[in-house]
Amino acid sequence: MSINEKFIPIKKGLLEFLVLKIIAADQVYAADILRALSETEFATQEGTLYPLLSKMRREELVDYEWKESEAGPPRKYYQLTGKGRERLRETTDYWQKISGTVKELGQKPGAPQT
Amino acid sequence: MNKVITINLNGNAYPLEESGYEALRAYLENASRSLQGNPDRDEILADIEQSIADKFRAVLGPYKTVVASKEVEAIIAGMGPVEGDSSGPGTGAHSPGAAAAQDRPAGSAPASGGSVRRLYRIRDGAMLGGVCNGLAIYFGIDATIVRIAFVLLAFVSGIGALAYLIMVIVVPRAKTPEEMAAATGAPSTAQEFIRRAKAGYYEGMKSFRTRREHREWKRKFRQEMRGWRRSFKDEMRANADEWRSNWHSHWARWPACAGGPHYSMPFVSLLKTLLDLAFLFAVLSLVATRAVIGFHLPGGIPLWLGLIGLFVAYGFLTWPLRAIRHACGRGAWGPFFFGPVVFLVDFLVWAVVIGLLLWYGLHHSAQLREFVNRIPPAAHDAVYSFRQWWARR
Repeated sequence: MSINEKFIPIKKGLLEFLVLKIIAADQVYAADILRALSETEFATQEGTLYPLLSKMRREELVDYEWKESEAGPPRKYYQLTGKGRERLRETTDYWQKISGTVKELGQKPGAPQT
Repeated sequence: MNKVITINLNGNAYPLEESGYEALRAYLENASRSLQGNPDRDEILADIEQSIADKFRAVLGPYKTVVASKEVEAIIAGMGPVEGDSSGPGTGAHSPGAAAAQDRPAGSAPASGGSVRRLYRIRDGAMLGGVCNGLAIYFGIDATIVRIAFVLLAFVSGIGALAYLIMVIVVPRAKTPEEMAAATGAPSTAQEFIRRAKAGYYEGMKSFRTRREHREWKRKFRQEMRGWRRSFKDEMRANADEWRSNWHSHWARWPACAGGPHYSMPFVSLLKTLLDLAFLFAVLSLVATRAVIGFHLPGGIPLWLGLIGLFVAYGFLTWPLRAIRHACGRGAWGPFFFGPVVFLVDFLVWAVVIGLLLWYGLHHSAQLREFVNRIPPAAHDAVYSFRQWWARR
């Protein structure tokens, strides 16, 4: 099992967090989110993203509005709701705790921190 | 040279090569299946459809007007398998993408929960008339299980064979690819998708700004679909009626009718009355002692199942009788007088049989005599208490 495969469930779990982050930065539509993710280890396909977005909308973390686009039909532009911002804050805190733990665990007490 | 199929996505036409169209259809069908039970299914599918349309548009240009199969496949592979529940831990159930979706032809796809699936007989891979095959596809189970169930039923009460015969006659055979697709529930998925697109479903959807308007539109659309299904049911019922009348005209040629219904009817009525009494007795004895004429209900089987079995057996036994009666009577008195005449005959026969039984019982059973003697005071008491209750109101 490659490292990549081992991390599939973790990446899946983190996806909502990342989508929240992307939407928080700017009002985006689905293809923007995919583009933002495509350069990273979290590259995602439509088949995963759309169900996730609709689930997040159902949980009232995000909302969308239709906007005309220069080319083609109107698009759904997503933005965070108050609840979504709250969730993003909580998740960010939790993520910082986790990554701190990962960093510190196993280091000898008193060893110089890098 | 390849055949081109034009599809309508969000009000724009996209010509696809035929095998590309099949791949797209299979992909959407799979997507719809894995979104089964998701309240946002329609919306997610519309999003996916929209995104596919965007990608098609990018492929086409002034000198390229058809999306090639290879391109459709590449786009589908790029979309990735649609995941039923993104919050779920594993999605192992999904076949990876288009490749798997493609090598599954529409006809053999296991159907699941299509909203407008229809029951057809499917002759491909059938053993007799395709009834079991059709049922299996309709309910999304293995055809062998359905066959075993039918054979078992046939041995136990004959109902299986009878039901099979009825279905061969009543259930239409899937002949065209459209009917095949309807049998597997495909209309609720990809073909339905395209049909909806044609009906302007998504055209309407994207123009709504608020979710409430959107929902209203969805509700109206569902209503339309319901009407559609209802008309199908009516058609089935008409088929069954026609079949029933054929069956009756067959029995009308039976010798019992030859002597004229005026003579045979009382006998048939008598026979039916006796069967009714036997049935009543069997039900009472099953409820009281869990046994009918020495046959004990096995411990594992609940009483209600035994009662249903009894009822089915009764219906099966009396069915030819009812059919004869119906056929003879209808032929002789016409449909209008048939009901009252049969009612009269039945009532007379019942009265005679009950009277005879009572007379016999009174002469031969002291218990019954005592019971009958107790009736007048009991009735008097009942009337008295009712009057009291009434006066208090």
